[in-house]
Amino acid sequence: MNTSSESKPDKWTLRQPYSWKLLLVFLLVSAGLGVSAKRTDVARGFHLTLEALAYAVGLTDKAEVAVGWRNFMERAFPLVLSERTATSRLQDFDRNRLPPLSYLVQEPTLEYDLARGDWVETEQQEYLVEPLGYLTHVLWKMLETLEMAMWGTLLSIVLSIPLAYFGAAGFSWNSATYTSARALCSFCRALPELIIAIFFVLLFGFGTLPGILALGVHCCGFLGKFFADDIENADRGPQEALECTGANRLKVLWYAVLPQTMPQFIAYIQYILERNVRTATVLGIVGAGGIGLELKGRLDLSDYAHVSTILLVIFITVFSLEQISQRLRLTFIAG
Amino acid sequence: MILRFNEVSKRFQDGSVALERVSLEIPRGQFCVILGPSGAGKSTLLRLVNGLVLPTEGVVEFDGICVRPHTMGRIRPRIGMVHQQFHLVPRLSVLKNVLTGTLPILSTLRALLGLFPMQAQRRACRLLAEVGLGEEHLYRRASQLSGGEQQRVAIARAFMLEPQLVLADEPVASLDPQTSRTVLKLLRSASAQHGATVLCSLHQTDLALEFAERVIGIQQGRVIFDAKPDELDASMLESIYLTRESEARQT
Repeated sequence: MNTSSESKPDKWTLRQPYSWKLLLVFLLVSAGLGVSAKRTDVARGFHLTLEALAYAVGLTDKAEVAVGWRNFMERAFPLVLSERTATSRLQDFDRNRLPPLSYLVQEPTLEYDLARGDWVETEQQEYLVEPLGYLTHVLWKMLETLEMAMWGTLLSIVLSIPLAYFGAAGFSWNSATYTSARALCSFCRALPELIIAIFFVLLFGFGTLPGILALGVHCCGFLGKFFADDIENADRGPQEALECTGANRLKVLWYAVLPQTMPQFIAYIQYILERNVRTATVLGIVGAGGIGLELKGRLDLSDYAHVSTILLVIFITVFSLEQISQRLRLTFIAG
Repeated sequence: MILRFNEVSKRFQDGSVALERVSLEIPRGQFCVILGPSGAGKSTLLRLVNGLVLPTEGVVEFDGICVRPHTMGRIRPRIGMVHQQFHLVPRLSVLKNVLTGTLPILSTLRALLGLFPMQAQRRACRLLAEVGLGEEHLYRRASQLSGGEQQRVAIARAFMLEPQLVLADEPVASLDPQTSRTVLKLLRSASAQHGATVLCSLHQTDLALEFAERVIGIQQGRVIFDAKPDELDASMLESIYLTRESEARQT
């Protein structure tokens, strides 16, 4: 029999690097993207960007994006750091015991006179000015958001442990527990946090608790799946060695699987924590507490300078956390 | 007899036959080496003893107990196993790796909390000393050890529960000749000291001749030689390692 291993190498059939099927798929996908770009404003975005670039280099004297950018910059700056409150609105105000760095000012109150069509001074009003008052308020709200993210992450870890155990082939009791755990992971992942948060706000009212629950329920789907996948892919050798001794499944998981997968688990938890910090900042929009609630309030009042302060604090916090997280991850993986 | 194979056959789902009607009896305290080419069924023979593989036909008896899924709990703690790739947990310390040998007799709560009895820790230290590892190795990660050192740790782990039988599946296949000899010496002395029977699969015929009290030759799932090592001559070795390809080429 003339098998391929016996025939001359010069006669062996070599495949082309690109098949006509691949080219056809490429053309179909390109056509689909072209149609979709028109439907989803991607084409318009491309046009606006080119127009803005032309404006930037002086090829044109008007650009829609440039007008928007100028409007934003005029209203968003300078950042608001201080807070000014009328002393008449402060309960138990003691002028002899002012908060640190704060001072009092007398300013006339302006009221709009409809008859004259102008602002008029009515009376002198005393104000307490705290130079870093608003920044402090935003930082406290950010801390509340961080705490919300931390508790949400802890809750998701706790919920994901049984999901991971039963969702890992080789450890799950039977196919029913395996399928149920995997399905529950998919279900939790498929529910957006904002929708879950609205549901929990209806159940528990406004505050950080609905936010924590929303983050916990949504992210346990991710962690459950990630953990289960890693458990399944862990090296079988050490597991077999412990199975040979007669150790039960839980002991095998604890001593042969978790030491292998722990660096990856820590990386996942760090990622989820970072992600939860980002998500927690917007959960307040639906009433789930934290800095998001403050952000929504300021957006509704069109206080763009306040919004800029909030966004800057969010950006610095998220960026710093990612840097810390990156260093910790490297330490764990190396260690 | 510590171990008895009675007309044992093993066929896998893909139709391949690993063992065909194998009958063997291994007496207590014997250092028995199994020789055979890759795919001959050596590993399957060993894995049938502690139930990692179940026979398609026939019966495997360990110390009078039939190896079945429901008897594993009684059998496995009395059998130690040494693997070709050591199968240590790389991120655990040497001491923890050895102590995992006691997991079947430790309560689940104590195991999860890592509370190994002091007696077990002392035994682990003694066994490590026996295989030539010092105090400085105790808290080093298994991944930081050389291949030979890792296999020493694996031997110490296998002897943690005073096993009556030690299965060694090509324990020196990934080691250099000098380390291979040292590891087999350790295995022999440890088994002699603790009164354990050893069933060891090997590829190195010179080591088999040097260490074995009995050599079993397997070819295509069948036992074709079972005698003392001095009865193993060149022609028999050739027939043990005669593969299908070389057989076809000869014909």
